Amino acid sequence: MKFVPLIWSGIWRKPGRTVLLFLQVSVAFALFGVLQGMKTGVEHAVAAARADLLLVHSSLGLVDGLPLGGIERIKSVPGVKIVEPVELFGTTYQKPNQGVGVVAIPPDKDWESAFTYHIAPEYLAAFKKTRTGALARVELANKYGWKIGDRIPLISTIQKKDGSRDWAFEIVGLYTDSDIGPGNDVIIINYDYFDEARVNGKSTVKHFNVAITDPKLAATVADEIDRRFANSASETRTESLRELAQAQMQSIGDLNFLVRAIVAAVLVALLFATATMMMQSIRERIGELGVLKTVGFTDRAVFFLILTEALAVFVAAGACGLALANLVFPWAAKIVPGLSMPASVVVVGLLSAALVALVSTAVPAVLAARVKVAAALASR
Amino acid sequence: MNFARQFFALLRMNLAGVTQRAGAVLTILIGVTCAVGVLVSMLAMSTGARLQALGDVRDDRVALNSIGARRIMSNITREEATATLDLPYIRNGSDGKPIVVFESLVPIEGRRRVSGTRIYFPLVGISANVTEYYPEIHFTAGRMFRRGLHELIASDACTQFTGFELGNQRALRGIDWSIVGRFTQGHTHQCIVYGDVETIMATFARNTYSGVAVMLRSAGDYEAFARAVKDNPSLRLEAQPERAMMEEGMKSFTALLNFVSLFVGTIMALGATLGAVNSLYSIVDARRRELATLRAIGFAPAAILTSVLCESVLLALPGALLGSAFAWAFFNGMKASPFGFTFQLAVTPALAVLGIEWALVMGLAGGLLPALRAARVPVTAALRAT
Repeated sequence: MKFVPLIWSGIWRKPGRTVLLFLQVSVAFALFGVLQGMKTGVEHAVAAARADLLLVHSSLGLVDGLPLGGIERIKSVPGVKIVEPVELFGTTYQKPNQGVGVVAIPPDKDWESAFTYHIAPEYLAAFKKTRTGALARVELANKYGWKIGDRIPLISTIQKKDGSRDWAFEIVGLYTDSDIGPGNDVIIINYDYFDEARVNGKSTVKHFNVAITDPKLAATVADEIDRRFANSASETRTESLRELAQAQMQSIGDLNFLVRAIVAAVLVALLFATATMMMQSIRERIGELGVLKTVGFTDRAVFFLILTEALAVFVAAGACGLALANLVFPWAAKIVPGLSMPASVVVVGLLSAALVALVSTAVPAVLAARVKVAAALASR
Repeated sequence: MNFARQFFALLRMNLAGVTQRAGAVLTILIGVTCAVGVLVSMLAMSTGARLQALGDVRDDRVALNSIGARRIMSNITREEATATLDLPYIRNGSDGKPIVVFESLVPIEGRRRVSGTRIYFPLVGISANVTEYYPEIHFTAGRMFRRGLHELIASDACTQFTGFELGNQRALRGIDWSIVGRFTQGHTHQCIVYGDVETIMATFARNTYSGVAVMLRSAGDYEAFARAVKDNPSLRLEAQPERAMMEEGMKSFTALLNFVSLFVGTIMALGATLGAVNSLYSIVDARRRELATLRAIGFAPAAILTSVLCESVLLALPGALLGSAFAWAFFNGMKASPFGFTFQLAVTPALAVLGIEWALVMGLAGGLLPALRAARVPVTAALRAT
């Protein structure tokens, strides 16, 4: 404890230099935090995706459809609890660049258990009663100021029986979604109404959502469903939400190499800058160090004194940088969904800061420890 | 002594001392190299993507979309599509018929050959005169697909997926399709698969086209053509030049890449500038007596200030060149497919110039405060402090 004032005065010996060094390290670790947080946040989001919810889609991918009639074949697979057909299409609201995704589902009993949505019971009841009703995602309703009871006009390329391509739905409730899915601008509508009103593609769906009785059965059930559709005109591929999330994240996976290269470049530049700075600082302080040794400080004490100074500055700056990165995250989350900074990134960040401090100060600290009293005092 | 002579004398002196201050000098050099290298490498992504998207654009090619719909979201009925054949200003092909291609796009999921990663690529049902509409298509093996048959041709980039060798059979909707040709299409590195549009629509039970594209007699006819489309009561379509369509399609993608690049680049530049300030301060501090002496023998503060600024810029510039060179060596021509869109990274001279501009800013911003301190060294105090 008695060394604290000594370390403190050592740090503030040249305030300008320390402040600059502090800023430089903060900036480097802010970048580190953002990049690593992106990567780890995405990995966490994948791990959190549900493994017990299966998606049955065409073997050609999620864009091609399946016939609605396939539902009975899926229902008869042992282990299947609930099967919900899902049709998806895109619309625009008021302006061509304001897209709204539409999820059409038949509101059967317990349909919501085959999804990751959270819907209040009164909204569920209202949705079931209203043929032209829609549930809006909370974020979307807030974005455009929609309220319960509003009638929302949407433009699509899907033709209705009356020849128009304009659809309108009444907002009967709101919902939240825990999945890192395709975005916030989504509403849920009634499949039966939609299918009856459209001209083309009747009785087809994009995929089926399947809730199973036991999460452990996921792989068996998935294989059995695909087996039942094998060699038919519409072969299927069944995947859990977690597998889908993994695939989605793999598609940005090529960026991982770039992220690693950037972090390496940042750390190399930082290491070099700090090492030179430390060297310079020690050279200027040789006289003082000589005095310290004259009054009885051992080589080892001087060594640790210098090291602790650097550690204190770097770890504090690293923490400051990571805190900055955390401030940026709400912004960045708009671009990459599921961003977060888990504790592991903070720990790795602070350890890296300490490591950079140790590596860049090791040589100067050894030099400081080896200072010869007579020579040091003579140089003053 | 005039300003210029003083300035050059000082600059020569500064640069002669570079070897004695290797640590500080290298700090600036490496900092700037890393910042510029990262900036240029990251911008190479959006540059490469744009180059690919716009490299083959021709001003005489026009897309027709459903009003209000983007390209692949169009729903164009057969009646509408047939009516477009009678539109004026369209160039005639070698068979004397207008060059109009009907498209039906089906995104198909494929697996990477090496990693097993899934990625979507377009299966484009298209009229057989596609080679007249896209003259940049060159066959590298095999032949064109035949109308009415279950035949596909695949671009050379499709070798990243399994099942696209010549003669391979692929099952689509329970039917075996054979790969009969391989081609390259201009600048694109995307995997594209073409097949006969009517056969593909029959297979996927579709009865509307997802797009119609025409080739005009000359690019100058566009305005008149667009008016003809607008004035035709039987068409619910709007015309869009290929260039505008490509620009629009790329906009959000390149905006995202550019935002990320500039964000990361700015942070790194900030770090490099701080490093430069620190290093230059230490250089100036080490030369306090020298600078005071210079002032005492008549060197003007302005000349000292400019010489330090100039030294800072001169130390930063090699960093810009090195950074651009590293970016070029490591990343130029590398294929990336973030978000399932494949393109080649391109490090262009324009990017190198941008890197040099950034280095200039870093050098000037980093040198300003230390240069001011150097110019303000109090002569008497500095000389007395021995």
